[in-house]
Amino acid sequence: MTTETPSDHVDPGLRTPHSPEAAGPPDDRSAAALARTADTWLARGLATDPADRATAEAAVRQAYAGAGLATPETIIWLGSPYAGALAAALLTDTTSGAAGPGGFGAAGPGGPSPATSPPGGDPDKSPTGRALAEVTAAIRAQGHEPHRVVTGRSVRARLRTAPWAEARADAVTRLGPAGWAAHWAAGGQRTWHLLNERLVTPLRTRLTDELTREMPAPLVGRARTALLDVVFGQHDAAWLSAFDNDPRVAGLAGVADAAGWWWPYERVVIMTERPVRVERDNLGRLHHGDGPALVYPDGFGLHAWRGMPIPADVAAELPRLTVERIRAERNAEVRRVMLEHFGYDRYLRESKARAIHRDAYGVLWRIELPQDEPLVMVEVVNATPEPDGTSRTYWLRVPPQTRTARAGVAWTFGLTEQEYAPLVQT
Amino acid sequence: MYRQGDVLVHPIDPAEVPAGLIPAGRDARGRLVLARGEATGHAHVVNGSGVTLWALPDQTEPSFLLIEGYGRLGHEEHGPIPLPAGAYRVVRQREYLPGAWRPVAD
Repeated sequence: MTTETPSDHVDPGLRTPHSPEAAGPPDDRSAAALARTADTWLARGLATDPADRATAEAAVRQAYAGAGLATPETIIWLGSPYAGALAAALLTDTTSGAAGPGGFGAAGPGGPSPATSPPGGDPDKSPTGRALAEVTAAIRAQGHEPHRVVTGRSVRARLRTAPWAEARADAVTRLGPAGWAAHWAAGGQRTWHLLNERLVTPLRTRLTDELTREMPAPLVGRARTALLDVVFGQHDAAWLSAFDNDPRVAGLAGVADAAGWWWPYERVVIMTERPVRVERDNLGRLHHGDGPALVYPDGFGLHAWRGMPIPADVAAELPRLTVERIRAERNAEVRRVMLEHFGYDRYLRESKARAIHRDAYGVLWRIELPQDEPLVMVEVVNATPEPDGTSRTYWLRVPPQTRTARAGVAWTFGLTEQEYAPLVQT
Repeated sequence: MYRQGDVLVHPIDPAEVPAGLIPAGRDARGRLVLARGEATGHAHVVNGSGVTLWALPDQTEPSFLLIEGYGRLGHEEHGPIPLPAGAYRVVRQREYLPGAWRPVAD
């Protein structure tokens, strides 16, 4: 049962931490309704169905019309944001509006020049060269010659930035600053945090690395620009949840409900598919120990461990780790991922770790790591038994200067050893 | 202080509750949620009479709990905990990383 507890009925003895202004914060009922809307948008942001292309294209046209733009002549579909960004880099050219001599591989009429070849010899054998050839083939399969496509300029600012700013300014005026803050807290903040911070940011970082590391020189700049010109499609659910039903963002919302990242230009739109798989941990971070945490239908994937993107070659090694291999790893972040994947308990066992302290709160373990700070962990038994009567044990890493198990557990809650004394634990 | 899994509810002097907090809303089922698991769907939920939950304006997770009547902390995998009236700080468990720390995903 849920008890209604209006937020303006706080005991006067407790300081009321909020003074409503203008329309004020949403009441409990509308807060729950905003949360339901936010949940719906979050589900759209995390959707793994194939794009609904007809619906998405209709929504794109609606967005263009709403921004006072002419209907785009050409819509091209790709399998992932990686392929989409490559296509955007291939098709845009700041000097001619189309991929001219700066084009690459099969995209250019004359093929690659030595100056534009990626390191490592034959460009078509490099991963980037293969990816560019695949994107070029996908564009051709849809009836377009890449070097003849004229995209025009990006219209992202008119299509996305301006309507968002208008809708936001309007909401702040309507609700008042405090009311807007509460509206955002109830209906947008969590979706933003989970989609934008935990999914889009690592994906963008990875794409920036991939698109600039091995790309031939003329394409690098255009690839960077492509990552600024993108509209996030389903991942715009991060902010759209707070603007549900605002007609100014209806077109964007329609695309968000039907497709992945997209690139709007004056004459051409590049659209992409949604992922086929999204694996997250309990805090919503991208996390998977057996394959990529984010996978797109064209095979592009992002490996991540508790939100930290990891190179594919390291990911491939994870199932075959040994204590010796972990010890030999020189990159501290990679070693951390390896340790966690291997399991602290197994590492403790197989490396004959020393229990340095035991008390009523748990056991403190310590292992020296060569050329690194020692690994100090507190082993804790869950207070509530599992359904089968056993108690789950877990390990948490604590600062290396920790001396007692109680101090270790206290640190995990930001308290000193003396302060930490729970009356009830379950 | 009261601990339920990876959440600690720590009594504080009401004067320590900072100004400028915003209500930490309710979830889609109308519940006051201290912390939730994205992968499991499980949540640390507080019920009771005269219970409000507050967040710092720039944070997603609630940081302060005010109880004027009585409260009860529940979770799908942990035993319930009765909470007396008072002001509380809500702390989510963290783990150490060299040079940093991060929240625990239990």
